[in-house]
Amino acid sequence: MYVASAIMVCFAGALVSYMAKGHARAVALIFSLVPLALFGYMYALVGTAYTEAHPWITPLGIQLSFAIDGLSMALVLLTAILFPLTIVYAWNHDQRPGLFFSLLLLLEAALIGVFTATDFIVFYICWELTLIPLYFVVGLFGGERREHAAIKFFIYTHVGSLVMLLAIFALYFASGLSTFDMHSLMGAYAQLPPALRDLIFAGLLVGFIVKLPAVPFHGWLPDAYGEAPTAGTVLIAGLLSKMGAYGLLRISLPMLGVTHSVGLFTTLLAVLGVGGIVYASLVALAQRDLKQMVAYSSVSHMGFVLLAVASLSAVSVSGAMFMLFSHGLIIALLFMAVGVVHERAGTRLIPELGGITHRMPVLAFLVMGGFLASLGLPGMSGFVAEFLTLTGAYPSLPTFVLAALFGMIITASYYIWAMQRAFFGPYNERLGEVMDVGATQAVPMAVLLGLVVLLGLYPAPLLGMLEKVATSLVMGVLL
Amino acid sequence: MNYMLLSPEIVLMLAALVVLLLGVTRIEQRVLGWLSLVALAAATALTLSLAGAGGTLLFGALTVDAFSQFFKLVFLLVAMLVVIASLSYYGKSRHQHEYYCLLLLATVGMMFVASSSDLATLFVGFELASISTYALAAFDREDMRSVEAGFKYFIIGALSSALMLMGISFVYGLTGTTNLQQIAHIVGEGISGSMTLALVLLSAGFGFKMALVPFHMWAPDTYQGAPSVVSSLLAAGSKKMGFAAAFKVFVLALLAIRAEWYVLFAVFAVLTMTYGNLVALSQRSLKRMLAYSSIAQAGYIAIGFVVIASITDVASPEGLSVATFALGSSLFYILSHAFMKGGAFLAVGAVAYMVQRDKSPLLDEDDIEHFAGLSKSSPLMALCISVLMFALAGIPLTAGFMSKLLVFSSAINAGLAWLAIVAILNSALSLWYYARVVKVMYWREPQMELGSVPMGFVVAVVLATLGTVVLGVYPAPFIELAMHAAEALM
Repeated sequence: MYVASAIMVCFAGALVSYMAKGHARAVALIFSLVPLALFGYMYALVGTAYTEAHPWITPLGIQLSFAIDGLSMALVLLTAILFPLTIVYAWNHDQRPGLFFSLLLLLEAALIGVFTATDFIVFYICWELTLIPLYFVVGLFGGERREHAAIKFFIYTHVGSLVMLLAIFALYFASGLSTFDMHSLMGAYAQLPPALRDLIFAGLLVGFIVKLPAVPFHGWLPDAYGEAPTAGTVLIAGLLSKMGAYGLLRISLPMLGVTHSVGLFTTLLAVLGVGGIVYASLVALAQRDLKQMVAYSSVSHMGFVLLAVASLSAVSVSGAMFMLFSHGLIIALLFMAVGVVHERAGTRLIPELGGITHRMPVLAFLVMGGFLASLGLPGMSGFVAEFLTLTGAYPSLPTFVLAALFGMIITASYYIWAMQRAFFGPYNERLGEVMDVGATQAVPMAVLLGLVVLLGLYPAPLLGMLEKVATSLVMGVLL
Repeated sequence: MNYMLLSPEIVLMLAALVVLLLGVTRIEQRVLGWLSLVALAAATALTLSLAGAGGTLLFGALTVDAFSQFFKLVFLLVAMLVVIASLSYYGKSRHQHEYYCLLLLATVGMMFVASSSDLATLFVGFELASISTYALAAFDREDMRSVEAGFKYFIIGALSSALMLMGISFVYGLTGTTNLQQIAHIVGEGISGSMTLALVLLSAGFGFKMALVPFHMWAPDTYQGAPSVVSSLLAAGSKKMGFAAAFKVFVLALLAIRAEWYVLFAVFAVLTMTYGNLVALSQRSLKRMLAYSSIAQAGYIAIGFVVIASITDVASPEGLSVATFALGSSLFYILSHAFMKGGAFLAVGAVAYMVQRDKSPLLDEDDIEHFAGLSKSSPLMALCISVLMFALAGIPLTAGFMSKLLVFSSAINAGLAWLAIVAILNSALSLWYYARVVKVMYWREPQMELGSVPMGFVVAVVLATLGTVVLGVYPAPFIELAMHAAEALM
């Protein structure tokens, strides 16, 4: 009942905070702490072997079944951690707070569903439900070009999902099993005709890499990230992009081993992955806007997941899973920091900033931490993730790993360059008197940075949990 | 003969006469609406109490079974929603007795079509419903557009009736009977080529009511011009009657020559959904947009015909034949669409109704501009419209998603993946114009002060929205109902 209750609590929270209007933020915070407590309790005591099922649409063989293993646990914990922090960060959001905070809780409900569902239709439903709150969050509370960004994001990812839905149907009918249960269907997958297996695999892949997003399917991302309000960007980058990665790891990875054109697909994934790492970091290097720079760095990091899946190596895959958790924390921290810069200094353009360390030392410290973690400094969680992913992938894909290393050098350069131009040097007097970050925004950022360092120094609790799943997924075994 | 089986129709007929008679007395006109509502509720209760019962009446001309009862429930639900909204819309009119009488008669006509098993009764029911709705479409006599709507609808409707009658006479000439069962029997033994001509004539007649492209021309003008409550009845009710009739004739009587109508319906389905969606994209008037989207949705429902005609029987999910599964999926779609489209037309009508009072000379009263900022002036209405729009677009946890899931999967199940792909692409396209309505309501500033929405509209729209959500969240019993109805016909 854990998962179902967590989802119900989020739905209830959405309703209550919508009606609470002025008190919406406090209500939302309280409700968002419940999933954290629930999953924290599960992590500590119940462990990572858990399933539950409730009957739903029996005529079609659809049931509300959820399961939690290491991978799901990592991602629901990330979800449960990021939401309260984002709500605290957005504490001063005063434009229609009732609606805003209830949309956030709706999003949380859908995300928990995505990361735990073991029924394809329930998975798809939750997957699609994430679009509705984000459509409103971007479109109502975003920047100047918000309408365009919202509708582009909605349609772009919706089309990707529909292709995925077709593949799910094909799998359902070809298997002849009359159930949408993931285990049974993926068990039946190996017995299908070769051409059909390839088609189904490709269809699912489209849905996942659009959401990830992998270059060149990232067209919706710069607009959505750029225009969304900070809280929205934090959640899109921190969690929504993890949905694509989760799909790849949970569904594509075990399928890959028994897919007919396995060589073709691994090459494709490796090319997409490394292409993304290099291309997006080059684009990030060219950005003048701090937020867009961070956005592209996020695209670049998601490339590692594709590379790991392509390598079919357990070490690499556990690195990629670690990356999901670590990147979720880091990117949230970075977008929050950029949000504060924009709010206080009135601009996000790197050339117009300069020397703000002098006026905002606390913020600069936090940003510095985030940048270093993101570029993979040892001692931070980002390093563990990238190191494992690349060493694991090296034996099977040496050339690609070398190219990815090149991308990491570019990553280091744009972060350092941005740091130097925006934060250090003489203070740009045209910015006027700029206040340092306030407590409600500093606390969540500090918590994130603390977690990043903690995991960098002591990755074992998370990694131990992930390694087991990674091995079984690579072997083609589910959950 | 067991007349109890006809009791819902009899109740409505009597109610129609009573309403008409009371109208000429000095009775408060408002009472008549409530009376009609009570009669519809009674008919619904009677229909429900007859669940499981079945039989034939009038020498085999009428068959009461799960299929006809399913459609009767759809028509009664739609009629009730329309009456509830009409309580506000026609609250002050002096002609309410005529209005409600026509509305009840139209419902009776639709119900007769659903249970007829003879081409003669089918035609009579069809005409009863059609003639009543011609008059209803033109009911706002002072409004030129309403008159035009009724006129256009009448002319094209009369033409299509003539074509259909001609088709029926061909069938009669070739088989010597008008009974659907007997036709099926004779057609199964082989029949000459003239049957194709009958097929074309019949599909023109039904295609008109279902608003399939290329017989759709009347729909946008009529839906826009007619009073909103009547548009709702047309889109959610009388269009479904077209489907009921077509299922009866094509699936029940003409299944043996399905190779002949397979291509016909495949072309109809693809053209209808694509054309409807493309034109809907550019509409400023929301009633027109809904009209075109309704055309597109008919295209999805028509997939059912293609699947039924295409299959060589294979087993499908829960042991039903593929054809039964396809028909059941279409029926579930019809039920969902009745709620979604009925609710959407009423909601748009409610806003247009308030704008009309405020007089807006430059734009149509249902112009999308008037919906700007609706989330601030009436949050409940905006929420309902959003749910209905997302439902029509097929977003999960609504009836629209479930019905698309069923229909598209029935196509894939029959090996018609290409048709499912066309439908899915279309459905992605449709999201564009549905999401635009939501966008305008939530993130534009209001252009004018709108008063509060009349109670009748609010109740009807909320009920339709609830129906849409229930069908999406807890669809299992309704899917079973639809499949059961489909089994009765196959």
